[in-house]
Amino acid sequence: MTQAGLYTLAASALAGIGVYGLIVRRHLLRRILALNLLGNAVFLLLVALARRHPGYVDPVPHAMVLTGIVVAVSATALALVLARRYYAETGLRHLPEDEG
Amino acid sequence: MTVAEWLSVGALALGAAFFFTGTVGLLRFPGTFARLHALTKADNLGLGCVALGLALQADSAWVAAKLALVWGVALVAATVSAHLIARYTLRERGGTGRAPP
Amino acid sequence: MIDRAFDLLLIGGMLGLAVQVVASRALFRSVVLFIALGLLMAVVWARLAAPDLALAEAAIGAGLTGALLLAAYRALQPAGEAGDAEPAALPRRWALVAAVLSGALVAAIGWAVLGLEPPAASAGREALARLGESGVKSPITAVLLSFRAVDTLAEVVVLFAAFLGARVVAEPLGRAGPGPRPDPAGGEPVLMPLLLRVTVPMGVLVAGYLLWSGGHQPGGAFQAGAVLAALGVLLRLTGRLQPVAETSPAERLALVGGIVLFSAIGLAGAGMASAVLAYPEGWAYTLILLIETGLTLAIALPLTLLFSGSAGLRWRGR
Repeated sequence: MTQAGLYTLAASALAGIGVYGLIVRRHLLRRILALNLLGNAVFLLLVALARRHPGYVDPVPHAMVLTGIVVAVSATALALVLARRYYAETGLRHLPEDEG
Repeated sequence: MTVAEWLSVGALALGAAFFFTGTVGLLRFPGTFARLHALTKADNLGLGCVALGLALQADSAWVAAKLALVWGVALVAATVSAHLIARYTLRERGGTGRAPP
Repeated sequence: MIDRAFDLLLIGGMLGLAVQVVASRALFRSVVLFIALGLLMAVVWARLAAPDLALAEAAIGAGLTGALLLAAYRALQPAGEAGDAEPAALPRRWALVAAVLSGALVAAIGWAVLGLEPPAASAGREALARLGESGVKSPITAVLLSFRAVDTLAEVVVLFAAFLGARVVAEPLGRAGPGPRPDPAGGEPVLMPLLLRVTVPMGVLVAGYLLWSGGHQPGGAFQAGAVLAALGVLLRLTGRLQPVAETSPAERLALVGGIVLFSAIGLAGAGMASAVLAYPEGWAYTLILLIETGLTLAIALPLTLLFSGSAGLRWRGR
């Protein structure tokens, strides 16, 4: 198997783990962690596929992932502020529709 | 292989051995202080050996200088974080009332 | 042979950490292992010939995200309170089915793309072939600031929007961000001033170097901004920068300056060069460096303020 193929498989496993965590765990912080795992899986897929060309590495996916890393950290920061405010208002660390 | 390459391989192997020892200590020792003791000493030396091993293979003196800088910065970071963790743990336990700075 | 073994070791470590992040019972453990996963991702990027991503991931993925997560953990899990009191989990069987299906979907996309003959005229090959037209020598910087500049412009706008959103729902100053503000004048660990004396000048130097090196080798505004933001986090945690409720004019300038500058030069391109966000002949390198300087601040300051949980920061020395 090529290196690109190997890391593509790793990306799919990471995506599976992320989706599982997103569904099973209900603590808001854990959900944010799982979402970040899913994001990392997508980045890994893009960068692995950038390696598939013979003779050169595609710079376009790299630029997209670089942008994506900064967008991911801004989204995470906003999600964390929302979770903290939600906890301060309600005393809950999970969403009400997840109860029962 | 040249003498420099043999020395480089030796330093890298020694560094890996230090990292291994430090990690075993981190996992097996009881308590925060003993773990810190294992981790900081062994890993700092291990990183030094790895940096030395890589510097021996470096193409230019600049690369070797950068590797030395990496080691120096890591030493400062490890020292300060070990100090802060130990200080915090001492305070948590009530230690000496107030941990001396 | 040894290359393949290293790849397998790296992937095994990455997936093992990811499983622990999801499965671990203690939330603190999950957070710390996620930070370790970020560091491992940086090694993965280096392994996949993406040094630009490795630099950004080490500073952002492991450093800044970690600091944000730990601060939030502290706020959501007050000391002395037991467990995370999660409601009982869903039936795991269905979750497992969903996980396997989504993993298979990603694998199918990957294999479909890998199975295709690599296109003779991909955007990446085009970018590499026309690198000379962009004015810079680094292909990533050329894509970010010349060929696909509109993405980068949108990205700083997203960051700014996230900052504005965080201001709307912000908690009171005393509870926001990393919590209690230490006073640098009293009772500081003895090594702290030493650490700052070493790291602050070096961090500024590294950020400047990364910004300049983006023109011809890995580096650029993203990495430089991330290093500056990490420095801001350190200064905020040690009380050198104190959170305040108002944004000063200088901070406002840094927050929107990069976006305004980028947009202005981009619009000017419609008149002076061929299209919006195109640079006039011969000016590309200078303009790109100018925009990148603005972007560095427009990335570093919102990230620091998002960590700090305040609208502004004031210097307070010893």
